[in-house]
Amino acid sequence: MNSSVPLLEVRNLSRYFGAVKALDDCSMAVYPGEVVALAGDNGAGKTTMIKAISGVYRPTSGDILIEGKPVSFSSPENAREQGIETIYQDLALADNLSIGANIFLGREPMKKFFGFLPVLDRKAMAKAAEETMALLDFHVKRLDAPVSNFSGGQRQAVAIGRAVYWNAKILVMDEPTAALGVPEQRKVVSLIKSLKAQGKGVVFISHNLQDIFAVSDRIVVLRRGVVAGSRNIADTNHDDIVKLMVGG
Amino acid sequence: MERRAFIKSAAVATLAAPAFLHARHTSAADQKFTIALIPGLTTDAFYITMRKGAEEAAKAVGATIVFQGGPDFNPVTQVPVLDAVIAKQPDAILIAPTDKDQLIQPLKNASNAGIPVITVDTFIGTGVYQTGSGDADFPLAYIASDNLLGGAIAARALAKAVDEKGKVYVSNVKPGISTTDQREQGFKEEMKKFPGITVLETQFNDDDANKAASQLQAVYARNSDLDGVFGANLFSALGAANGVQQAGQLGKIRVVAFDAPTSIVDNINSGLVDMAIAQHPAEIGYFGVMAAYAHLTGNSIPISIGTGFTVIDKANVADPAIAKFIYSD
Amino acid sequence: MVEDVTHPHRQVHVAPQADHADVRKTLVQQIAQMRAWLFLAALLIFFEIWARADFGGSFVGSSFNWRSVAIFAVAPLLLAVGQTFVIISGGIDLSAGFVMGLAAVVAAHAINLLGVHMPLPLAMVLGIVIAVAAAGVPGAINGLLISRLKVPPFIGTLGMFGVARGAAFLLAGGTTVPVKNSTFAELGNGQIFGVPYLVLVTVVLVLIMHYLLSQTRFGQHNYAIGANAQAARRAGINIKSHLTRLYVLSALCAGLGGALYAARFTAGAAQAGEPLLLDSVAAVVIGGASLFGGSGTIIGTIAGALVIAVIQYGLVFMNVEPFWQFIAVGVVIIISVLIDQLQRRFSGAKQDE
Repeated sequence: MNSSVPLLEVRNLSRYFGAVKALDDCSMAVYPGEVVALAGDNGAGKTTMIKAISGVYRPTSGDILIEGKPVSFSSPENAREQGIETIYQDLALADNLSIGANIFLGREPMKKFFGFLPVLDRKAMAKAAEETMALLDFHVKRLDAPVSNFSGGQRQAVAIGRAVYWNAKILVMDEPTAALGVPEQRKVVSLIKSLKAQGKGVVFISHNLQDIFAVSDRIVVLRRGVVAGSRNIADTNHDDIVKLMVGG
Repeated sequence: MERRAFIKSAAVATLAAPAFLHARHTSAADQKFTIALIPGLTTDAFYITMRKGAEEAAKAVGATIVFQGGPDFNPVTQVPVLDAVIAKQPDAILIAPTDKDQLIQPLKNASNAGIPVITVDTFIGTGVYQTGSGDADFPLAYIASDNLLGGAIAARALAKAVDEKGKVYVSNVKPGISTTDQREQGFKEEMKKFPGITVLETQFNDDDANKAASQLQAVYARNSDLDGVFGANLFSALGAANGVQQAGQLGKIRVVAFDAPTSIVDNINSGLVDMAIAQHPAEIGYFGVMAAYAHLTGNSIPISIGTGFTVIDKANVADPAIAKFIYSD
Repeated sequence: MVEDVTHPHRQVHVAPQADHADVRKTLVQQIAQMRAWLFLAALLIFFEIWARADFGGSFVGSSFNWRSVAIFAVAPLLLAVGQTFVIISGGIDLSAGFVMGLAAVVAAHAINLLGVHMPLPLAMVLGIVIAVAAAGVPGAINGLLISRLKVPPFIGTLGMFGVARGAAFLLAGGTTVPVKNSTFAELGNGQIFGVPYLVLVTVVLVLIMHYLLSQTRFGQHNYAIGANAQAARRAGINIKSHLTRLYVLSALCAGLGGALYAARFTAGAAQAGEPLLLDSVAAVVIGGASLFGGSGTIIGTIAGALVIAVIQYGLVFMNVEPFWQFIAVGVVIIISVLIDQLQRRFSGAKQDE
């Protein structure tokens, strides 16, 4: 399933904040159907990396390529248009709205009532929600229920479902399993696996090595703004990664 | 409630006015006085008309009026205005105190600073001043409509309109305002003289015409034999009259209104309001300034001056002699 | 293929469980949303029983009572429908009362001035349009203050409360402004088939506002902003322009309320809406909205306004000491908010996380 052209490639990326080199000459790549975990201690540059990828920060130098073509993002919206969807810890869901309404927030489908009165097409939204969520192996009975009714893992699924529906090629996830209970963490891990199965590229930050090993294909370890190492999951173990993280 | 010895307006006109005129001739040219007028609230036709009377008197004696007040009828907004006025040391203060008790101390500060205080429209303490007892006897005079009398006039007018029998009630603002309380009291006392008339429970509307209208409809729904209503102030009357209209009882339920803003003319002409009792706020303002001026020029002034009323109805509303008592803007 | 990959991890059976909870939670939420109508029904039953026991009459059986309550509810409801939108977005519009007064005064002046030059019905229509448009000005300033200059809604509209109040009293010259236009007076006091025109106009506006809130993107975005403004912004919603339109909308509703007030009392009064502001906020809250934003409906607000009107009218009808009215409305507001809190706790909203 892997092709030779990476979905996302970061080449020699640097980002400085004044004299502070938050990222210095970092490179990494994500292939279709590949899950890449970003690991590293606090302040290693993980957050700066995903903010550069998602269009929040402009790189000081270096390139970002999508499917081999260099791109530059003027804003997070612009990055999203080019296929990179970022899911932050707060999920950016309107808790009072249904799954469908959240998926379509800002671009709601309309239909004509009695042929002239434009009204929200709730049926279309519910149908899309049902289908999208089914892709993620998540079956809801009450599609009109507000998302506040759902558990943390299910809400994570809604946020991911939204990205999938809008054809994101690459999903960037910030600590997707933080603040979740163990069964919910497992749910998220299986969500990431189903994204992988659909050929999406996933970049995620996690502190939880167990999750990293459960789901990722490759681990990129950052330390003080530089890539300390990159390991295929099959060729490494916990101790190896911890050593890379702390150095020495 | 407390009774005050009012000199009726007629008496004022004959007794007090010459004294003022005399005073004016002796020292008008000597000094230009600044007299502050602090209304109960600045946004009310009643006080705006009072201000006009005050300005007229001030012009006549060569004084200057400073008109400053709070945006609503409330000591909390009035006292800071009063303090600011005191700080500027006017020669006299005319004030409509917004509370009988809470304004005593702030006004005492003015009195202690040597500024003579006269209350207009409303009063502090008992409203009986210069008795040598109590802590609210320092104001020099109280000049106002006799609201008890006004209520009684309203009662007589309404009794006549309903042929001295049936059910009536008072639509009032809220309890605790000295003037409207007295109107209601005067109304109820006078109504005792008409045994054929039952006075129902008073309805308080918070100065909201919408609520006053709804209350009339509810009272009527319950008492289909309702004959009349006394609106104790502008919005009470406006609302009650509209309630009568909405209930389709125009001409059957009679409305007597206290106060006479410009809109009352149309209401009387259209039959919405049977009668309006106009106070003479311009007179209150006029006498207030004259009394202050008389005091400042060394003359003695009456402790209490009651101004009169004019009853306006369909028959006389077009008469210019009557129309001048409609509060203008 | 999906199955293949995910199946080994199907140990997660949280979803079916949660679905049962969904149904229960949703039921509780639906009852909570309907609470204002349940209140209203309970009140009507209460007054009916009381009226029968007390004097053998009927409260709900009288069309006169219905008409009176409807007329009474018109003005607070007009303020409340605009306020509903604002409160759902997480804001509040304190200026609505005096914007209504301003519009009442503008309507009175405009209709008098125009009436000299044109037929009365035309003068009336134009006058109402001018009054409503005039109300839009403070609304637009509110919106710009809140959306562009990031002034908190409470403070921004409090400032506009003062400005609109002053402007209204200045225009009115401190007194009431009588209107001389018989068509306008007919609009304010006439009826057709037993339904007052005022009520008809209000019903039309309320239907439009219900459509706007429940069936359009504008309404949908309003809910999203109230729940999570950050999420709405990330979803590409232009929050600044939304907020500006929102406060204009609230002011326009208040403006129509002011024009109808002038029609009814054939006079514009600057203080027309002052006592109605808190009633309108109370109607929205009783109707099921949360002052924290994100929830509320026009249907609920209608019930909220009717609850207040029925309590106040009913207690006068039953000849109860007037001060009980305040207590009764206060108690209903408190119960309503308590139900909202309970519902939130029960449905385990975000707080748990």
